[in-house]
Amino acid sequence: MYFKLSLRNVRKSFSDYTLYFLTLTFGVCVFYVFNSIEAQKAMLHISRSALEIMKSITYVMDIVSVFVSFILGFLIVYANSFLIRRRKREFGIYMTLGMEKGKISRLLVSETIIIGIFSLAVGLLGGVFISQGLSVITAKLFEVDMKDYTFIFSLSALLKTILYFGIIFVIAIAVNTFAISKYRLIDLINAEKKNEKQKLKNPVVTWLMFIAAVLLIGVAYKMVMKNGIMRFDNTLLFECIMGAVGTFLLFASLSGFLLDIIKANKESYYKGLNMFIMRQINSRINTAHISMSFICLMLFVTIGIFSTGLGITRVLNMGYKDAAPFDISVTAEKDADIIKALEGNGVDISAYASDVQQYKLYLPAEKTTAGTIFSSVEDALPAENLEKIRADIYPLPLHLISVSAYNRLLDIQKKPHVDLTGSQFAILSQYVWQDVYLQDSLERYAKQPNKLTINGNALSVYPKVLSDGIVNNSYELITLVVPDEVLMNCEYVRTVLCFNCKGDSVAVQDEFIEAISAAKFGFGYSYASKSEILAQAGGSKAIISFIGIYIGIIFIITSAAVLALQQLSEAADNKRRYTILKKIGADNRLLSKAIFKQTAIYFFIPLAVACIHSVVGIKVANDAIRQIGSLNAGANILITAVTILAIYGAYFLATYVGSRNIILKNGSM
Amino acid sequence: MGEILKVSNVEKYYGNKGSLTKALDKVSFSVNEGEFTGIMGSSGSGKTTLLNCVSTIDSVTTGKIVIRDRDITAMKSRDLAKFRREELGFMFQEYNLLDTLTGFENIILPLTISGEGHKTAIEKVHMVAQRLEIEEIIDKYPYEMSGGQRQRIAAARAIITNPALILADEPTGALDSKSARMLMECLENLNKSMRATILMVTHDAFTASYCHRILFIKDGKIFNELVRGSDSRKVFFSKIIDVVTLLGGDASNVL
Repeated sequence: MYFKLSLRNVRKSFSDYTLYFLTLTFGVCVFYVFNSIEAQKAMLHISRSALEIMKSITYVMDIVSVFVSFILGFLIVYANSFLIRRRKREFGIYMTLGMEKGKISRLLVSETIIIGIFSLAVGLLGGVFISQGLSVITAKLFEVDMKDYTFIFSLSALLKTILYFGIIFVIAIAVNTFAISKYRLIDLINAEKKNEKQKLKNPVVTWLMFIAAVLLIGVAYKMVMKNGIMRFDNTLLFECIMGAVGTFLLFASLSGFLLDIIKANKESYYKGLNMFIMRQINSRINTAHISMSFICLMLFVTIGIFSTGLGITRVLNMGYKDAAPFDISVTAEKDADIIKALEGNGVDISAYASDVQQYKLYLPAEKTTAGTIFSSVEDALPAENLEKIRADIYPLPLHLISVSAYNRLLDIQKKPHVDLTGSQFAILSQYVWQDVYLQDSLERYAKQPNKLTINGNALSVYPKVLSDGIVNNSYELITLVVPDEVLMNCEYVRTVLCFNCKGDSVAVQDEFIEAISAAKFGFGYSYASKSEILAQAGGSKAIISFIGIYIGIIFIITSAAVLALQQLSEAADNKRRYTILKKIGADNRLLSKAIFKQTAIYFFIPLAVACIHSVVGIKVANDAIRQIGSLNAGANILITAVTILAIYGAYFLATYVGSRNIILKNGSM
Repeated sequence: MGEILKVSNVEKYYGNKGSLTKALDKVSFSVNEGEFTGIMGSSGSGKTTLLNCVSTIDSVTTGKIVIRDRDITAMKSRDLAKFRREELGFMFQEYNLLDTLTGFENIILPLTISGEGHKTAIEKVHMVAQRLEIEEIIDKYPYEMSGGQRQRIAAARAIITNPALILADEPTGALDSKSARMLMECLENLNKSMRATILMVTHDAFTASYCHRILFIKDGKIFNELVRGSDSRKVFFSKIIDVVTLLGGDASNVL
């Protein structure tokens, strides 16, 4: 009989709290998807190194999942206690009918279990479905091909999801039972009649708090903009705490402050239902400011990781192509014959590739560094970073490569030759595009009639900056391409072997790496395969974007769901107030407008404050990332804004429609 | 003296074919301008249903209700809301004040809803507050007031728009006898000095004794009518008691 009752209750509350169930289901779904990443290797044509990296991604996801389960656990426990509070009267009736508290608790337990099983089942089903699609994203991030479609299913992720959510539900049940045991019958019966006391803060205190909040936040902004976020130290921690405390104070004082301001303007205060709306907001922010501050900070983090995360992946995306121009490159110090050394170890290079190139890099006789070039175009460099560039970049050595060797490398890459006259040199930089300023200054240098003396030959600069790479994972910021005859009797720096693999490139690369790592050379050497570099780049991209999307989605649905729940449950309280308004002659259109305004203010004030925080946050993140490439913040912010507005906006609309239905439908009129 | 309210042949049915309840059965009466009319009856007699129909909160099954020459049974819901805020004032047993608003804001609300300019609105509130002697409590919140004070705020809210008809549903129902007396004197004062037309539902004979005329309802029908005329309140009160006793089964409400 109790089971039947709880089933009916679930069905009843299901229509009331659809948003909660959807959020829960969505949470389960996301949780499963991001824990099933390793299972996706089944569908990807992937190298061994990428496999290793996927394992470490799974490890990172494990840690993030613990964090996420705390957030979701908070949401579920919070939502549950909310739903219970809403049903006080119902419990009161059960108790007057003679039901013991223990039985009510049992009723609740079976309800929670029904809800839990239901949302787990639907969420997991959705998760399994969505994880099929996620492998397309993973394939894109790792830049690998997809094999034929295989059904992806991760038993470990499934069990983990059930375990984690099981624990969360058990905690929720415990909290509920405790809450029930504290209730007194008289409070339960009278639950709906209570007039809320208006806790009013002293206006002077409100103003002081508001000023303190603005000051704290302002100082935190200023400090973080000055100090940057490259180093995580006590200063940064201090700035974060200041910002957070400021945000809390802001929300604690904001509604009182706004009320004072709007009240001063009598014309708009005493217009339509404005006075009522302002009082409503004020009466609730007084009690809800802590949750609103949390929501604001969560939204801020979401905006931050979405937009900067997207930006970082784009930067990394550009980087790997230049980092790996060849399938394989092997580098040895000074002068060496790598092909012969490989043969000595029984590795026949022609089994792996048809076109193999071995070339050398030389040291110029004159002392030539990056500074030799940059110092003549210093005015193109950013003045504020000049000291740093002088210290870090100017001392980098410049090495030489012959134009004939360079053209042979271009042949492998199937690119057109570079023609130098006998008295020209060209600037080659594999990475310089990553920094707009360095690129600009190099281009300016190439356009000017600059001359350089190399090995006693006065050479003029080739008017274009070359960017096609000469080695995987190059160490050189700038290499100079010079005519062959300049390099007579020149000192060797490095010997490099590079080639593209035959046949199934990914498999052949793995074979070659295995062979060379077993080989013993008489000299120091290093090697890098394209799939390794891709896997590393893909791995960091995947980690950043997966964490970003994972935490971002969880944060945004949690905060939106908390807001929606508060709002919907208060809609029931407000029903009484709106009924009074209706009786004294406010029509439905006016009431709908008031509900809309109230919901909108409640939803968008935290978002607005989060946006202001984010403007500073993204600027600071941009400054930090500029050192490895520019973020192109505009596009990312647009994507972030659209995503957040879509999810958040959906919750907002659902909440508005839901509260309007609660308030205006089957009223007592 | 013009006719403010005319109720003719109003019927209100609840339920379906199987079990039909006639809450109101061919009720007809009228109220003139400046009249203070009471409706008495026991619980379930239909008096609150009648008030709800008059106040446009509920609709009638058949019959006509005309207030200031407008037939409210034929109005659309948008017009009804407008009509309610312009022509009617309400008082309820549970006061129905908004707990988030101060007394002042509660009183001014009907004016801001109908779009009155803030300057004249504020002036009007002060005038009404002066008349009802509630100026000292006007800036308090409802939870800071006593029941009687709350009900006087509600009375101020009911008359602020200068309505054709003030409808009061058991206004003294939640008050102790001293507050009830104060409130009734206040309503009497409104009726006399502002010529407010009041239609009040009550089952309390003492409260009813302030009226000029009382309609008794039993089982959805008008059962009796009592006019005070030149009687003193005491005499009128004992006449009411007599009718209530006659109504039968209602003695518990009197004692």
